[in-house]
Amino acid sequence: MVKRYTDMAYKAADDMIFGKSVYPVKAELGLEVGAGYVTAEVNYAPRPEAGVSKEKLVSEYRRLTTDIMARAVQVGFPAVSLETEHVEQMTNNPTWGGEIAHVQKTILEEYHEEYGIKCGLRHTPGDIREDRDLLALIGKKYDILMESFEAVAEGGADFLSIETMGGKEILDYAILRNDIPGLIYAIGCLGSMDMTMIWEDIRKIADKKGRIAAGDTDCAQANTAMFIAGGLLDKNLAHTIAIIARAISAPRTLAGYEAGAQGPGKDCGYENTIVKSITGCPIAQEGKTSTCAHSDVMGNLVMQCCDLWSNESVEYHGEFGGTSVQCWSETLNYDAAMLNVATETGNAKMLRDILVLSDKYRDPQGFVLAYDNAYKVGQAIVKDGDDIFLRAKNAAVASVDILNSPEAKKLSMSKFEVNALADAKAALDAMTDEADTFMSDSLEKYKAEVAVFRPDANYKF
Amino acid sequence: MDIDPTKILIRYNVQKEKAQTPEQMASEMYPSAEPAKTISAAIFEGEEDDVIEGLEKAIEGGADPIALIDDVLMPGMKIVTDLYDQGVIFLPNVMMSADAMLEGIEFCKEQSGSVPKPKGKIVCHVAEGDVHDIGKTIVAALLRAAGYDVVDLGRDVPVDEVIAAVKKESPMMLTGTALMTTTMYAFKEVNDRLLESGIKIPFQCGGGAVNQDFVTQYELGVYGEEAADAPKMADAILAGKGLAQLKDQFHKH
Repeated sequence: MVKRYTDMAYKAADDMIFGKSVYPVKAELGLEVGAGYVTAEVNYAPRPEAGVSKEKLVSEYRRLTTDIMARAVQVGFPAVSLETEHVEQMTNNPTWGGEIAHVQKTILEEYHEEYGIKCGLRHTPGDIREDRDLLALIGKKYDILMESFEAVAEGGADFLSIETMGGKEILDYAILRNDIPGLIYAIGCLGSMDMTMIWEDIRKIADKKGRIAAGDTDCAQANTAMFIAGGLLDKNLAHTIAIIARAISAPRTLAGYEAGAQGPGKDCGYENTIVKSITGCPIAQEGKTSTCAHSDVMGNLVMQCCDLWSNESVEYHGEFGGTSVQCWSETLNYDAAMLNVATETGNAKMLRDILVLSDKYRDPQGFVLAYDNAYKVGQAIVKDGDDIFLRAKNAAVASVDILNSPEAKKLSMSKFEVNALADAKAALDAMTDEADTFMSDSLEKYKAEVAVFRPDANYKF
Repeated sequence: MDIDPTKILIRYNVQKEKAQTPEQMASEMYPSAEPAKTISAAIFEGEEDDVIEGLEKAIEGGADPIALIDDVLMPGMKIVTDLYDQGVIFLPNVMMSADAMLEGIEFCKEQSGSVPKPKGKIVCHVAEGDVHDIGKTIVAALLRAAGYDVVDLGRDVPVDEVIAAVKKESPMMLTGTALMTTTMYAFKEVNDRLLESGIKIPFQCGGGAVNQDFVTQYELGVYGEEAADAPKMADAILAGKGLAQLKDQFHKH
């Protein structure tokens, strides 16, 4: 039985800042995350043609790792962290991922030894737990996934992460129907249940291998909502609904920490400021520097409390300024330098607030995720921290309340956004507070409506 | 510290919003005669039960179920998709309306015992190796809402299955979606295999990491930037446009 969070790690929202966390973590080659400075976390994807064989993939990662490290020392950066998000071959064949981790770590060790540069390596196996048409969260695929974690930990990955998909089969249905109880069931309940299971096992592997169980992100669900919501003029999902999905994802991502994760949380978890307010664990974030991978409407704001600063992912190829990983790692590192100068000169809170205000009123999503409001969502979660349903509902209610509060008057919302918010509030007002009732009603409803929902096989109902 | 945000950003969605509400705009588009007016409103609201109730009344009054599909359900749904195209309503509204409209079509088919002639057949799939299918789900729903017969092959579909389905169904168009750059290369293989078999149908490709530069690398590919491009592309094919004209229309970059 995991211990749920029922208190906040920070006494006040204003105590939260980039580069510092309550519980820093330390990697093997001198890098500390959340210990007073921000570090770039470079993320990349191999060229598709490199995936045809293990040899080609290993070679691709050797080249891009060397490129990143060479650029870091050429421009004089004191630290850098790398994240390898697996292509499926690397997870389905655990020895592939393990060998790549080893090759990358060996390069980091050489640079650390020669130049003293502090380095970290995160490996993120893919969540391969699915058959062609159905999620298969428990069973043979799960075992292969755990083998992959063992292999990358053995190979030298400091930080172990994943982007799990528990609840996605319901989310994909609910998000296209403005179904708020469905979002709570998918993300808050099913997602949290799966997270609790998998992160207990990842932590065991990390402890056995002397590595760090880092963290998860609700990429499969809240990022799907954010991606569908798109820009200001897109009409695929109201941004007020997207932020409700995001708020609900915070207690789901929190479940990973309750089961053993220690941070740094994954970069694309835009819910991470909420999570950090509760756990005090370091987080990675991405924003203006991840435009190579996707657009968002809060590119500066999400830097507010980051401990690692990431670019999400970029395909390895040539650019005018070098290879893509060199260009983006240099940009990330310059950002980190700016943040660290703010800290060193006593201006960190000033810079944090400038970053926040540049986006706070751009969109309902940024408004709720601004650290002062994110903290309020965190408080709503821990109020009923022991109840995974109720805390998810609380997060949704808190985000609606924040958008309806007098403080939101500078946030100009469209009628669509306001109406969607009103509908969401009505749906939340009509919901029960009883977890058992909600779970049994939802089970019945979605078994009837979602053909690919397999509650017994995936969630042990 | 706080700011006046109007000096640093513009919420263009608020600035460009129509004065009328979606409901007002929809009500002006409903047909004046019953039962079409009531059924159209029920489709707009996504109320399946009300759609069925309206159809029951109409059939009791002597209406032909198949004629109701063409004359009432499809025009009612077109109001919804037109408002979506105009940026007046959101995708979830379209999805819920499509659910209601499709339930109405099933009801009419049951009542009639015959099947209406669709506008055309389209095969949809997610690339081999890719299980991210929400984009394909949206594409399929929008195509069905526009009156097309959709053969949905699902996700992670092997190239062989795509080719076999195209040979079996003889669709007017094939769609492929992919989230990942690593899986979208299957589209090239699908293209090559179709050409080897002498099949030259438009192959609409889109989703996550797919971009126009990639799709233009193979002959049959037409890039669909938005899911809503799928029914527009199908309509363009029905209007007689060939591959070159489709690329001219839909390749925006």
